[in-house]
Amino acid sequence: MRADLWPRLEPLLARAERPTRYINREWGARHAPDADYRAVLLYPDVYDIGQANQALHILYDRVNALEGVAAERAYLPAPDLIELMRSEEVPLFSLESCAPVSSFDLFGITVPYELTWTNVLEALDLSGLPVRSRDRGSEHPLVVGGGPCVFNPEPFAPFFDALLIGEGEDAVVEIVGVHQHARAQGLSRAELLERLAAVPGVYVPSFYEPRRDDTGAFAGVAVRDGAPAVVLKRVVPELTAHRAPTCPVVPFLDVVHDRYALEVQRGCTRGCRFCQAGMVYRPVRERSADDIVRDAVAGLGRTGYDEVSLTSLSTADHSQVEDVVRRLTRRLAGSGVSVSLPSLRVDAFSVDLARLVAGAGRKSGLTFAPEAGTQRLRNVINKNVTEEDLLTVVDRAFEAGWRRVKLYFMIGLPTETDEDVVAIGALVERVLTRARANTPGPQRGSVRIAVSVSTFVPKAQTPFQWEPQLALDEVLRRQQLLREHTPHKGVELHWHDAEVSFIEGVMARGGRELADVIEAAWRAGATFDAWTERFDLGRWLLACESAGVDPTMIANGERSPDKPLPWDHISAGLPRGYLVRERERAFAAETTSDCSFGGCTGCDVCQTLGVTVITGGGRQ
Amino acid sequence: MTPGEFRWRVAYEKAGRLRYLSHLEVVHALERSIRRAGLPFAVTRGFSPHMKVAFGPALPVGTAGKREYLDVWLTRFAPSADALDALQRVTPDDLGPHEAYYVSDAAPSLTAALVIAKYRASVEGRGIESEEVHAALSRLIGGGELAVKHKGKQKVFDLARCVPEDPRVTGRPDGVRIELTVRMGPQGSLRPEALIRAALADIGTEASVVRTTRLDTLVESEEGVWSRPV
Repeated sequence: MRADLWPRLEPLLARAERPTRYINREWGARHAPDADYRAVLLYPDVYDIGQANQALHILYDRVNALEGVAAERAYLPAPDLIELMRSEEVPLFSLESCAPVSSFDLFGITVPYELTWTNVLEALDLSGLPVRSRDRGSEHPLVVGGGPCVFNPEPFAPFFDALLIGEGEDAVVEIVGVHQHARAQGLSRAELLERLAAVPGVYVPSFYEPRRDDTGAFAGVAVRDGAPAVVLKRVVPELTAHRAPTCPVVPFLDVVHDRYALEVQRGCTRGCRFCQAGMVYRPVRERSADDIVRDAVAGLGRTGYDEVSLTSLSTADHSQVEDVVRRLTRRLAGSGVSVSLPSLRVDAFSVDLARLVAGAGRKSGLTFAPEAGTQRLRNVINKNVTEEDLLTVVDRAFEAGWRRVKLYFMIGLPTETDEDVVAIGALVERVLTRARANTPGPQRGSVRIAVSVSTFVPKAQTPFQWEPQLALDEVLRRQQLLREHTPHKGVELHWHDAEVSFIEGVMARGGRELADVIEAAWRAGATFDAWTERFDLGRWLLACESAGVDPTMIANGERSPDKPLPWDHISAGLPRGYLVRERERAFAAETTSDCSFGGCTGCDVCQTLGVTVITGGGRQ
Repeated sequence: MTPGEFRWRVAYEKAGRLRYLSHLEVVHALERSIRRAGLPFAVTRGFSPHMKVAFGPALPVGTAGKREYLDVWLTRFAPSADALDALQRVTPDDLGPHEAYYVSDAAPSLTAALVIAKYRASVEGRGIESEEVHAALSRLIGGGELAVKHKGKQKVFDLARCVPEDPRVTGRPDGVRIELTVRMGPQGSLRPEALIRAALADIGTEASVVRTTRLDTLVESEEGVWSRPV
């Protein structure tokens, strides 16, 4: 019988903020207390932020569908409850049974963002588990990670027993199967890890030892016999085989993205050279219009949400999106249920879609991402958008009644000059002029252009993985330059914190030596680093120093494509040759087309993984 | 009265762990239940169409309710028993609707009509004696006013008005049980827990747990008679 922590937790809830985070009992939550094999899936941030994560909903569905197997959920409690739990010695608990996380067979953790890594340590420690894999044994749950960060897993690899690279629909079933079998056979932890390493897509970090050359530079990894030299990502060939969850857990709490989210396609082949998601989630696999409409209607009916969001990396690129939106808005007319599109392209078609979705109702705001201020730089990053595209979009949007658009830009992109930075301000000014010109006189005062500027962070597995990140003081200088060249009236300028981006950049391309840094920062009190008010650069710099790591070398240093990278033994299916070629095209300001519409551009993902692009309900 | 609309009143509970829900969370949860049940709810016209539904007086986070109310307007008549059954099937257990009936569209709103709340509070703590607690409560109520701080704001309650009946205090093995009637007002209502904690402080003691349940919310006739809303 597993311990029920509720009687010890409940008295703490009276003193905790938002107790709804911890009470379970939501519609759609599943509880199978008698299952023989039990997994707990954790999002390493508070419930409010993690609840909407679609990957966890999918895995929760998949694992709970297995005979004799139960999956429960866990989130990291907010800092106020963590403090109470630590003082009352209440360990981290699952939601469904309120059982200690340490009592489960499998502890699955999604790793969504570099700055949540200290939260992973906090979760392991709060569960009473040693934070390093090497200090855990058969008496502890098997700790398996997955998610966007695994495409350079090295900095956090030592905290996990195994990591799944890529998509989990099928792999999670195999991982559970291997673990159940090992348990039944009484295998040791080492033997279990050997079996897991044989599951396609599973990376067992302890089987890969980083090597250094005489100068101390990274020189590749030594791979233990029997483990694959390169772990190739898992991918499901088509989404049709995996119906979207139609009854995900419906939260009581007002969470981020509180709506029914339906994944309409996976992958994006636009080929933006800075975009890790676009590189690592290839190829494009669409759901058919019929499936989307069926699942949206079913999902809304079962969850009771009043909004359905058609999610993907680029929903306007779905070949049947207009048909889907027309059918859905017709079906939902008069029901008070709305449709939302999270990502729009910079083109007239997207505005027409947004008009369809908004109908006569409220026009809340439109978001577009030109990313750079000059055509040259947009060509460098392969963002195939022209200034004319953007201005046409603005004309149409303000003509149609929108009074606010949000624009995303980055500074610090490779080859960027002061001219490119200043051009962002000039472009915003032209957007503002066009917006006002298309707004009736009395309403012109309400026109708003929100401009959000982030710092480019080069990511692993992209054509820019070798580029130096812009140094912190230079980022601050260019931010100031942009501030001076952006109109004030009618423009809201927002910055992504440059210090956070610096540490994100260190984490994104560091090697295994960073595990010591993460652990030192966490021991010094770093958690919830993704919350700007809790982020402390000083603490990270001290942690780097104590671990003997130079963070500027990792983030801002030059790298040669001839030298090994810490993540070379992890493959998203894109050969180095393709990334190098795209890098060369970038420096020549040459663009590359989208293979979902044009011809194959030679990224080799389809050949390597044995899959194809799926659009329009069929294969290309 | 909107022609063709039927105002349907539902009594539901807020129990168990779900007493930790805020009022807004209860509202959202029950709106979602109504949608899941496929009830033919009316939608407001206007810029941002939403379900036509109205709730009774809010319950604080942590307070349970035995008999809370909502009114939802339906666009066609559905037999109450069938609609209630449909709603029960898709509502989390501890938020269960247990009674439903149609009311006249001319009836006053729930928040305006429901002015009396009956509470029961289980107070746990060492050395808390029923007679002493009752005496302290009576002294406080007789004293006139109670200032309560909530979320940084101070509110002053006229206790003679807010507590129209003498509280009943019964001894329990681990403390006391208090039954308390509170008159609610548009400017905010006295939380029984605040009054109880003040009374305990007056006699130099403290409760380890105060668990409050609103047993009933009532309307008041012109003659001053209390009854459930119909």
